[in-house]
Amino acid sequence: MTPLLGNFSLWLSLFFATLQFVVSRRYQKSKIINISVLGLLVSSLLSFFLLMYSHIVSDFNVLNVFQNSHSTKPLLYKISGVWGNHEGSMLLWILVLTLFNYFIIKLYNKKNSIFILKTLETQAFITIGFVLFTILTSNPFRTTSHLQTEGLGFNPILQDPALAIHPPLLYIGYVGFSAAFSMSVATLSIDNNEKISWYIYMKPFVVAAWTFLTAGIALGSVWAYYELGWGGWWFWDPVENASFMPWLLGTALLHSLIIVEKRKSLQTWVLLLAILTFLLSVMGTFLVRSGILTSVHTFALDPSRGLYILLFIFLIGVYSLTLFGSNAKRYFNNNYFSFFSREGSILVNNILMIVVCATVFLGTIYPLIVEAFTNDKISVGEPYYNSTVIPIMIPAILVMGIGPMLSWKHENKIKIFEKIFPSICLTLIMTIFIFFIYQSFSLIGIAGIILSFWIISNNLIMLIKKNQKYHIGMIIAHFGVGLLILGITASSVWQEEKIIRMKINEKTKIEKYSVIFDNIEEIKGPNYVALRANFIVQDANKDIITRLKPENRFYPIENNFTTEASIHSNLFRDLYIVLGSGNSNDGWIIKMYYNPLVIWIWIGAIIIFIGGIASMNINLRKIKVFPQ
Amino acid sequence: MKKQLLIIPTLIFLFIFITFFYLLLIDRNPTDIPSNLLNKNVPEFETESLFKKEKFISSEEFGEEIILVNFFATWCKPCRDEHVYIKRFSDEKKIRVIGINYKDNNKKTIQWLKNLGDPYSDVPIDKNGRIAIDWGVYGIPETFVVNKKGIIKYRHVGPVNKKNFKKLNSLIEKIKQ
Repeated sequence: MTPLLGNFSLWLSLFFATLQFVVSRRYQKSKIINISVLGLLVSSLLSFFLLMYSHIVSDFNVLNVFQNSHSTKPLLYKISGVWGNHEGSMLLWILVLTLFNYFIIKLYNKKNSIFILKTLETQAFITIGFVLFTILTSNPFRTTSHLQTEGLGFNPILQDPALAIHPPLLYIGYVGFSAAFSMSVATLSIDNNEKISWYIYMKPFVVAAWTFLTAGIALGSVWAYYELGWGGWWFWDPVENASFMPWLLGTALLHSLIIVEKRKSLQTWVLLLAILTFLLSVMGTFLVRSGILTSVHTFALDPSRGLYILLFIFLIGVYSLTLFGSNAKRYFNNNYFSFFSREGSILVNNILMIVVCATVFLGTIYPLIVEAFTNDKISVGEPYYNSTVIPIMIPAILVMGIGPMLSWKHENKIKIFEKIFPSICLTLIMTIFIFFIYQSFSLIGIAGIILSFWIISNNLIMLIKKNQKYHIGMIIAHFGVGLLILGITASSVWQEEKIIRMKINEKTKIEKYSVIFDNIEEIKGPNYVALRANFIVQDANKDIITRLKPENRFYPIENNFTTEASIHSNLFRDLYIVLGSGNSNDGWIIKMYYNPLVIWIWIGAIIIFIGGIASMNINLRKIKVFPQ
Repeated sequence: MKKQLLIIPTLIFLFIFITFFYLLLIDRNPTDIPSNLLNKNVPEFETESLFKKEKFISSEEFGEEIILVNFFATWCKPCRDEHVYIKRFSDEKKIRVIGINYKDNNKKTIQWLKNLGDPYSDVPIDKNGRIAIDWGVYGIPETFVVNKKGIIKYRHVGPVNKKNFKKLNSLIEKIKQ
């Protein structure tokens, strides 16, 4: 029954999306368009919750449930299992798409009708593409050929609370950029005699998308850090890059929109950025789902799907970019601005973000291009990214500290110095203080610490001044970035790693801590069995700080092993222990990490998220204040 | 700014699109990784043989006919899956297959081969994984094609399945000529 209803609701979504596409082309608001937007929302909610219901009640006649679930799985993972697989995640994608669709029509009024309808038309086209894709290549409501009483289980590495909410946040990010894309296409295709301030409408969507994408990427890192047991949180994996690239372009887009809003310049540029950001988001999906790249994250591979997504990218890409090529000249203007001004600093940041994005893009697809042309296989890894991305990021962050304090149009150079002098002092004091504590010197380390305190102190000063000119959401978000850089620098530069073989009752040292291997025991979880090692951690005074209990879990249903790292965090450092293979005679391989200031990465990300939400609120109010 | 510059994004986009499209259409496998040993002689090794009393000496075995070298173990589930295809190589295609038994238990291996059938002309034992290191194997199963001169011509990482069985087979036919 559920599969039948599910299929029905998918076709219903397709019907309403097509209806919306057709009706919105007529440039007249009729009741039908309201009905189709609402119908689309209801039908995609229906299909999503029907699949969720099948997962919760473990209806193994649904192929998707049979392949990805098991009756012993905890409820949280039965629910997150809905989007933990390719087919279900497409339903989530469609749901978010239709939610944004609904928000767009809420902005409709008499004066902007042409613009909003055109936006809805493009949104409808994108929705049709994804619904068709789901129905044709990845239908989650396919049934099993004969009666099944038990499922195959769910990849245990994905059974993690951070990963349960990571995809929804990420999709809000990706799909939010679809709204910016549609608005850009709408702006380019309408005859903008009525001078609609399209950028006012685009901005809240971009802020929302960017904020959620940031949170989504951060949660992905949290998962990698706690679940993969590799001691790090970012690996320059193609799938990570696939989310990082739209983030970089989104950052550029977000900031350029401010210039458009204040100075009416850079309109062409922003229209292009909005298109590229969404294209890159879909391209990310293509790279992940088609199996064209190998990655630790590729969970759903099927070349026929890849072909479909690629054709879809081709359609929207060629359409939007040729539209841009032929119509963008309308939005040219010759407003040049001085380097020492707020818009100047935003522009510099913009260029640097684009360069980083291009660098990451090149690193990700270069192996593919080389293979296509020469048939050789090469791989691009961490050294490439570290040696290219970091040097470009350093000036970007320097500018980020000072930019928001500059005035629009032109800034007096002496005045700048007066403004930033307190933060220069504060940065110096804090940097010296940090080095006094850690007593460790490295060039990258010093650069990173200076940069982070530069951002932190600049934003603190702006906060204290409480000047109306400064935007509170921006200050909070930038402050978060400062903390993020602090965490990233310390945890990557001063990380200590120790891999040794230990027998029970043996003792070892990492940093100033003594680690004693106390015992190892077998335990039973809800759907796994595990070996759990017990370690006692003592500080220099031999006081016990904590007991760490890393596990090696075996999930019998999936026939799969996972490692559970055990971590003790405080504001200064993480102690991270992973249990490797071994036996009681020869000892066990133990990996230990001392990761300074990691927690500030997560705190920074949370603060950025809060800043983003605050900014979203302010930008939404702007639409209401200036109804066009 | 010149108007013509506005088509640059489209051109870049098309270039990337065509590359991806080409890569999707051609028959490629992102997991097949080139070996440093490609077009080089088989690494030399001497070891015990599972069924024979005399030692297995690599220099005496390679260099007369095309040989498939398959790294396998009884504890490796994918090895069991690919076993059917390894057998087809020896039964149908009459190709000599040497199965290097990786970090395994002799009794279990004998029983395993009894149950599933033994396609191997010889089973050298790689008790501590030394031979696998010399061959650059980093996960089993892996399969190598060695030509008449004792030179490694192809490396396949992962289990042989229906699709790459055909590919390996046509490759062997090519080497034969």
